[in-house]
Amino acid sequence: MFQFFTDDQKMLQKVIREFVEKEIAPHAAEWDEKDVCPVEMWPTLGQMGMFGMFVPQQYGGPGLGLTERNIMLEEVSRHSAGLGIAMMTHDLAIACLLNFGTEEQKMKYLPDLCSGKKVGGLSVTEPTGGSDFGNQNTTIEKTAEGYTINGRKCFITNSHIAEVNIVTGTSGVNEKGRKILSVAIVPPGTPGWTAGRKENKLGLRGSVTGDIVCNDCKVPADCLIGKEGDGSKIAMHTIGHFGRSGMSAIATGVIRGCLEEGIKFAKERVVYGKPISNLQAIQFIVAENQTEYNASHALMYNVTNIYDRGQQCVAEVASLKLFTSEAAVRAAKRTIDLMGGYGIINEYPVGRFLRDAMAIIPSGGTSHIMSVIIASTVCR
Amino acid sequence: MALNIAVCVKPVPDSKHFDKITIDPVTKTWNRCGIPMVISDLDKHALEAALSLRDKFLGKVTVFTMAPETTKENLLEALGMGADEAFLLSDRAFAGADTLATSHTLAAAIKKTGPYDLVITGNESDDGSTGQVSAQIGEWLKLPHIMNVISLEYKDEVLHLNSITEDGSIGYELKLPAVIGVTRKVNKPRFINVMGMMKAKTKPLTILKAEDLPVDKDHIGLSGSPTQPGDIYSPQSGRKAEYLEGTPEEIAQRIVLELRKAGITL
Amino acid sequence: MNISEYKNILVYAEVKGDRIAENSLELIGEACRLKEHKGDDTKVYTAVLGNGTDRFIEQLYEHGADVVVSFNDEKLAQYRSDLYGEALTKLAEKYKPEIFLIGCTYQGAELAPTVAARLKTGLAAHCTELKFHSDGRFIQVVPAFGGKVLGDILTPAHRPQMATVKAGICVKQRFEGKKGSSESFSCDLSGFGDQIKVVSVVKEKAKGKPLHESECIIGGGFGVGSKENWAILEEFATIVNGATGCTRPALDEGWTTGEQTMIGTSGVAVRPKMYINVGISGAAHHTCGMKDAGFVISINKDANAEIFKYSDIKIVADWKTIIPLVIERLRK
Repeated sequence: MFQFFTDDQKMLQKVIREFVEKEIAPHAAEWDEKDVCPVEMWPTLGQMGMFGMFVPQQYGGPGLGLTERNIMLEEVSRHSAGLGIAMMTHDLAIACLLNFGTEEQKMKYLPDLCSGKKVGGLSVTEPTGGSDFGNQNTTIEKTAEGYTINGRKCFITNSHIAEVNIVTGTSGVNEKGRKILSVAIVPPGTPGWTAGRKENKLGLRGSVTGDIVCNDCKVPADCLIGKEGDGSKIAMHTIGHFGRSGMSAIATGVIRGCLEEGIKFAKERVVYGKPISNLQAIQFIVAENQTEYNASHALMYNVTNIYDRGQQCVAEVASLKLFTSEAAVRAAKRTIDLMGGYGIINEYPVGRFLRDAMAIIPSGGTSHIMSVIIASTVCR
Repeated sequence: MALNIAVCVKPVPDSKHFDKITIDPVTKTWNRCGIPMVISDLDKHALEAALSLRDKFLGKVTVFTMAPETTKENLLEALGMGADEAFLLSDRAFAGADTLATSHTLAAAIKKTGPYDLVITGNESDDGSTGQVSAQIGEWLKLPHIMNVISLEYKDEVLHLNSITEDGSIGYELKLPAVIGVTRKVNKPRFINVMGMMKAKTKPLTILKAEDLPVDKDHIGLSGSPTQPGDIYSPQSGRKAEYLEGTPEEIAQRIVLELRKAGITL
Repeated sequence: MNISEYKNILVYAEVKGDRIAENSLELIGEACRLKEHKGDDTKVYTAVLGNGTDRFIEQLYEHGADVVVSFNDEKLAQYRSDLYGEALTKLAEKYKPEIFLIGCTYQGAELAPTVAARLKTGLAAHCTELKFHSDGRFIQVVPAFGGKVLGDILTPAHRPQMATVKAGICVKQRFEGKKGSSESFSCDLSGFGDQIKVVSVVKEKAKGKPLHESECIIGGGFGVGSKENWAILEEFATIVNGATGCTRPALDEGWTTGEQTMIGTSGVAVRPKMYINVGISGAAHHTCGMKDAGFVISINKDANAEIFKYSDIKIVADWKTIIPLVIERLRK
């Protein structure tokens, strides 16, 4: 486990944990079963200071860092990974605006997003592919009045609840014939922007995921983030740091959930006259869970500290996501094994942990894509 | 109509860990090791009551606690919740105090840093749970005091409150200054949010020793406590817990049999 | 303070409408037991405050009082912490009891510390036991950490030695036809004048049978699971002519209502003939409230639940598979 939190970070963890245990944990199972995202909690979460934790105070945030954001996300996801990804996606819109927006764009949107008054979303993936980002078909076409957006996005988290939407698309081709990628803000209530089909997911239920359809969606010129052609840089930075470290925090929360539930069960379940925690087979499982949690935790906060100290670290984050998400699946599977028949009874959360872990893998790029990113960085 | 409010809080062992508490058989004291301290639950309701009044009527909320210096973190939590200032009364001379000595010390700090319009405490704490300090602070301060408060409202310079009884409640009108002890029913305490937590460190937190306070040395600490602790022990139970196994029908049958044996009339 | 001047045991008899509180009657019984133990010329005094309290004197004798001291004043017609505090303090100053017991009702919980502070003496709160050391010192046993631990409290150098005790801990005694002597006490009372005003007294009709009148109590905890499930316990309680009790978690979930049905250190103590409980883990603060029950049957899915240490019969099962069958059999 990471040993070098500051006193403030330890206090933050305590404060968030208390809130999560009272207000989130009791509802996690219900949100998963009913597949609902508790969007009514957004103002409360904003009031708690849990959105945009890395946003400076002048824009409405607490002015902390990625480390603190991940501490928060781990605490939430220990109980509801579904809510975790919904909050994380909301933060992606915030991160994009903060790191690449103009002063006017930041002042216009960040305060409402940080306070939870409005829900944020980031739409990148298309039916053409998530990793094949450069080949997307959505167009962000410059017109006399601004930009017109046309296209379809899929597997978009917060699809049906986001009001401040950020979308990627192409703005023509360059001299080499390659698509020029741009990023635009679609303000709340813009006509032509609709949520389409809603997906029925295996895991990370507690968040809503679906299609976005842009049909002659017109936005003013000042809605472009950066310049035309900045799309790749913006999307890669945002997803590469905030998205994937966020998914790692969610995975780490799931691993901790497996660890804690497994230990609790092992101490209470009496078979052959003794708690099963006395049996070596069970001890091996608990030890593996503990070790993978230690590793995930230490790796994660090492990486967030790299970012907070001002360094880009997309490959390190990819490595983090690769490790933690796969570890979460292993932890969930072995915890279900630990629990025997009870492991597959839905009254216990571990089945949900396994489904959530499986859903974490393709979110923000699959493990295979993470491997490609890591290898291409180190084999340069 | 701004209100200057004092809140007394007590750091206690986290009740989630009560089952882990062990007693040292030699010193007959309880083992504090590894058991985190938190602000007593009812005190959070007291703090919330004070903060709500301050938010509505303006003024200041000052938190007091008599405890070892290590509990500074708990006072930071109170400041994080929104209190404006905190005083930690910490001195070897205060150690071993019973409720009379504790309330005397707290009252002295309140007198020194006051005057206050209202003193709010929790009805009782999670650990020793005597429920005596509130009324006794009122007595030392020579102020009217009401405990068991389930609702309160400040209107037209009068505190309207309801106090619970076994078969209902009593409604009071209280003119300030006064002391009240609140129950859980009175409100839902706000959570400490991230911004509050960060602001907490910037707020004044002062440690006061015996020499800083107008205390009567005969009324503080163990020597100033009329009640003295004796032996500590774990409660014993003499029951044998006969392990009843069988089908649900067999078990149900046995329960019915025991009811008949005990002479329970249907 | 000259300790030797303090003699006898004083018990505060709380007037509740047209009765004396059960808690107070139990404490008079306890005072008699302590008097017997001392075996000297100690007398049991009871103090009654109010307006028109003479009607209780006979009852107080029959429950063990040797002397009833009444303070009747229209200012005491309605309980108020300052007036009652002042009155009881002055009464205690005159009578100088060695031991002073007050029932830990809501009123007593407020009155006792008020009087103790004015008398600058020691007060032990909600004692679970009162006894004498072999060397004659008076010991008050109190729970701490929710009852996980018990501690002896002594008040060696101050008098009176005050203690509050909750209802259901001590046992009433009856002395048919016993007589005693009665005295009046009075003094000027000012309190805090009109700084405190009682503006209303609300009496709510209690739902269900009071716990302390039930021979069989059905206890439910967090393991009950839902309000619908709780209805099964209510049905069971009705059939056995009893009432349901609960733990704090069940109360907080809203499955049942009434702080007065919560069994535990911060709730009530019960000693029914039979206590059948389901879904209760047996944390110390609950067991402290039921450990004196006659016969305890506990049902819990967790074989290691603490409740079993305080049970006569241990059943490791899902209570929903058992209790409906019990109800069915009892209906036949």
